[in-house]
Amino acid sequence: MKSNKPELIVNNKRLDGRNFDELRPLSIKAGVIDNASGSAYVEWGNNKIIAAVYGPKEAMPKHMMDPSKAIIKCRYAMSPFSNLSEHGRSGPSRRSTEISKVIKEVFENVVFLNEFPGSEIDIFVEVLQGDGGTRAAGITAASVAMASAGIPMRDLVYAVSVGRIDDKLALDLNMIEDNYSDSDMPIAVAPRDGEILLLQMDGGLSREQLSRGISMVLSAGKDISKKQIDALKENYDSISKKYES
Amino acid sequence: MLGIYDEREIVPLEGTWKANVGDSVVGTVASAKGSVCIVDLSSFVRGLIVLRKYETAPEKGSIISAVIRDVENRRTAILEGSSELHGGILMKVKPSKVPRLIGKSNTMINQIADLTAVRIVVGMNGLVWISGENSARAVAAIERVCEEAHVPGLTMRIKEMLEKEKGIIGNDIEKGTI
Repeated sequence: MKSNKPELIVNNKRLDGRNFDELRPLSIKAGVIDNASGSAYVEWGNNKIIAAVYGPKEAMPKHMMDPSKAIIKCRYAMSPFSNLSEHGRSGPSRRSTEISKVIKEVFENVVFLNEFPGSEIDIFVEVLQGDGGTRAAGITAASVAMASAGIPMRDLVYAVSVGRIDDKLALDLNMIEDNYSDSDMPIAVAPRDGEILLLQMDGGLSREQLSRGISMVLSAGKDISKKQIDALKENYDSISKKYES
Repeated sequence: MLGIYDEREIVPLEGTWKANVGDSVVGTVASAKGSVCIVDLSSFVRGLIVLRKYETAPEKGSIISAVIRDVENRRTAILEGSSELHGGILMKVKPSKVPRLIGKSNTMINQIADLTAVRIVVGMNGLVWISGENSARAVAAIERVCEEAHVPGLTMRIKEMLEKEKGIIGNDIEKGTI
């Protein structure tokens, strides 16, 4: 693997010209799907992701219903045209099953499930174009979709990945960096108290690198949170503006 | 929760409906077997009508309006005082917009009903039943209310909109043909 590893750092910058603690350009739009209770579209670098939330509705199948709280179901899927290589097959795979599970667990920790006993909330994350960090972008999108559905949550979650290229930490890895970096760690955070809801790691980080990586995520997260909130406000502001003058 | 902060409380912009005792609701009859009748309230809360002796069950698929007498486990709403709504159309709006659609002491909904000469029944669960020849105009007005619910001065704008429309076909309304 090492032998065909491309040079990921040129002139102390990354391949796409970013600094090590710089995010890719992010834009979020809320309420893109009328039929859903809430939805969001995220463009994060070359990632293009639609997330939609349906519910709360009656839990199906009945045996999965929990009479004391709501259950969350999540389906993460990459579209067949989303990627150049192996993720291009449609249908569930090991990888998409795993990501569906971790996204589900993130939201089980922030949604007030007790408010809707016996119901189910469905999250759909569809990757239209993938370029590394889709699970992080998917969580960020799903969180906006969840808020625009009006489902009460403890916090507006965001997620971003941090990785290690040689001995340098880099934020928000893209596809090439993801494939050839020495370590990759997606993190989902509840920004108000900085609680970490998802932490996965490929490769290895030292203890010091891990804590530095987390603080990089927390400081970059302020931008992401702001974009999420702006996206939610945007739909209402645009209507208000029509009548302001 | 997504909402506007307004004098000590948050007015939700989006949200799901929670069944409260005393809420009036609109729904369709999903099944009627024996003395129990299940009503689809287009929510995770389902409505239940327990029929009294000799009371005939409403037909499956018919639209009814009722008041919630009791809520069990936040999930089942026991309804009372149900009455069937004949004809008309059923429209779905966001439950968070229903208070605005009704307005302070029913101003908004009465205004729409008066100016379009239709009958409207609004359920807190977000289903709205409309009957009358001008239903399409009422639907357009209701959709606009839901879209602009957070912008002040809405009652005036809706009044303007409906009166303008009325002006175009106004003569017919005065003659009573519409």
